[in-house]
Amino acid sequence: MNISSALVFGNNEYGHEIAKNVTHKYNSITLFSLEEIEKDHNSPFNLEEFDLSEDWDELSEKYDMDSSIIFCAINDEAKNIFLTISLRSSFKDVTIIALAKNNEDANKLKMAGASKVIPIVETTANIITDMLKKPIITEVLHNILYEESNLKIVQVTLKSVDAFTGLYPAEIDWSRKYGVLVLTIVHEDDSHEFIYTSKTKHNYLKSGDVLIVAGYELDLQNFKRSIGGE
Amino acid sequence: MNPLTRHIVDFAYFLKTSAGYQKKRRFFYNVLENDEYQYKKYFDIFMMLLIFSSVSILIYGVKRDVPEALGTFNSYIISFIFFIEYMLRLWISSSVSKVIIHQDEYSDLLGRDFDILFVSKRVFHDKLQYILSVKAIIDFLAIVPFFHELRLLRVFVLFRVFKLFRYTRSFQTFSSVLVSKRFEFFTLGMFASIVVFVSSVLIYVMEATNPSSPIDTLYEAFYWSIVTISTVGYGDVVAVSPEGQFVAILVIFAGIAVLAFTTSLFVSAFTEKIEDIKESKTIQDIMKLNQIYLICGYENIAREVAKKLLKDNLNVLVIDSSPKRIEDAKKDSLHALNYNPGNMESYKKLNINLSTQVKAILCLQEDDVANVYTALTVRSIDKDVKIMSLLMNKVHRNKLTNSGVNEILYDKEFVGLIAREYVGQPVAFEAIYTIRSEYTNIVMHEIVVTERISQTISTLKDLQNIKYRVVLLGVYKKKNKRFFFNPIESTLLEAGDYLLVIGNYMFIKEFTKFLSTK
Repeated sequence: MNISSALVFGNNEYGHEIAKNVTHKYNSITLFSLEEIEKDHNSPFNLEEFDLSEDWDELSEKYDMDSSIIFCAINDEAKNIFLTISLRSSFKDVTIIALAKNNEDANKLKMAGASKVIPIVETTANIITDMLKKPIITEVLHNILYEESNLKIVQVTLKSVDAFTGLYPAEIDWSRKYGVLVLTIVHEDDSHEFIYTSKTKHNYLKSGDVLIVAGYELDLQNFKRSIGGE
Repeated sequence: MNPLTRHIVDFAYFLKTSAGYQKKRRFFYNVLENDEYQYKKYFDIFMMLLIFSSVSILIYGVKRDVPEALGTFNSYIISFIFFIEYMLRLWISSSVSKVIIHQDEYSDLLGRDFDILFVSKRVFHDKLQYILSVKAIIDFLAIVPFFHELRLLRVFVLFRVFKLFRYTRSFQTFSSVLVSKRFEFFTLGMFASIVVFVSSVLIYVMEATNPSSPIDTLYEAFYWSIVTISTVGYGDVVAVSPEGQFVAILVIFAGIAVLAFTTSLFVSAFTEKIEDIKESKTIQDIMKLNQIYLICGYENIAREVAKKLLKDNLNVLVIDSSPKRIEDAKKDSLHALNYNPGNMESYKKLNINLSTQVKAILCLQEDDVANVYTALTVRSIDKDVKIMSLLMNKVHRNKLTNSGVNEILYDKEFVGLIAREYVGQPVAFEAIYTIRSEYTNIVMHEIVVTERISQTISTLKDLQNIKYRVVLLGVYKKKNKRFFFNPIESTLLEAGDYLLVIGNYMFIKEFTKFLSTK
């Protein structure tokens, strides 16, 4: 089967925006609603009803849960937490992204098993203050991250470190040699190290490390090829 | 119109159109009366110093001989300065030329003769009204120059202390609070006067004929009455007869009532006015600020935004129509006023220039109707000020755009974009999120290229960012509003460009210092 699906719980504006933004990545998008809904045949998404007492194991009969992602975006916080904990108990490994009103609810959602929590108030406030304090950085990052632009920030996993033997990451002139900028190195234990921190100045790269690299699409492809990354 | 009257009217028009005269008049008005004028405080401090030196000389002279120079300074120089001030205040208290011109125009309109007598009366009335005001009387008594020659009149120097009311705003606040309760104070005064009068007469009747009583005259009876009703009770003059003592008991009870009433009046006057006092203090503080972020509405998102702006020591002002939310904002150490953001009057009361003092207006009410209304109100006052507004329901996007909002903040869209990035590049997303997070030492920063920097560092070759362990993400060229990622070394730096850098904030700080001081 192996059809990737995005299961978005919450037939509301948050759910619609999420569904709209992940269509490029998944073969099917299903919006689940707690309320009764009329089937809209013009909707680009599948619409289904659900209630919190459902047996979620049945989902695996309809969707390939190994290649699916779940978004919990119900407006009612308590129900959203209950849904998250129910889904996590049924699917141990699926990625669950949940929306929280604030940091307090975000902690509860994390405890309930969400892989990633987006606290709406804090996130919106961060974006607003960034727009006020650092308007140019915000605009540039917005274009890189969210808009159709040749400039990308990507993650490159190092398969081999032969090209960097005997060199510390900070000593390599990534910009002139590859036309890209390496921003951070993510180690196997998921810890992030900025390229110019003392630690990266005294530690060699290891295979399996992930480089977070900014550059133009073509330069990034060449970079991946030349270092044998993926 | 006779020639003299003609000359007077011509002279009045001359004064009205004379730029030099009007400039001088405006200058003296600002120095003497305009609290917002930046140099007024220096004048006030100077006058206060004169007052304190005058009082000091008076105290010094009680038991010692005052040196002649000091005496002359106190009697004549200070008095002369006060006299000049008095005359200037009299001059600016009302405009004579304005009255003449107004009357001339009025007569012209009705086809009547210009009535110089009526004008003179009007001018005299205006000036007399000022002369008889409490402040002007105090000013006048403070300049009486001969009091030093007469010992009793020396105390007139203390009228100079009353002049402090003019120069200290807290005194003015104090008196305005008391004025607000003038009816209650008048009633209390009447009650106390009647009690004093009746008790004075009674005690005089009861005690004056008693040879062992210290109360012999009506004045002593009055003195006893005042001392008793004020609950001071020195004990130097006391009633000795049983009748007199009974009167004393009554006066003591009345005294307690007067004291309690007076205390409660003061307390209630200040309690009622305390919010107004705080509000005017907040407005005074705000008027001095620049680059203000004016947040309209103090709900969840607004609270977070304000907290973050405050953390960076930026000037934040919150206005909200909900008293409870304003209380919350004050608890969060913000300048906050209980004003309706959609009301034009609110911005008038704020008394700030939206174009020059306000960096951005943030309509962060979680209600599209309120935000549209606020944006329209602000836009009707100022066409250029930057307005950012929350959008709660996307069907209202056009309404916010049409009401003049520069940036629309739609939280659902933000969530959608974050979800998009997360499903696309989760590790890159986390890394960028970590870099942008305020909890790490690694920050993204924009450094504006000043004229000085562009003169010393003409191309990126001389930037030395690697030496300072700072990643140069790119250059934003102001001229063509374009971002150049990872630019080549020969890229020219021009004033107004921005360097977008990533690094440890300490290193960025050092790097910025290096650029500015090279």
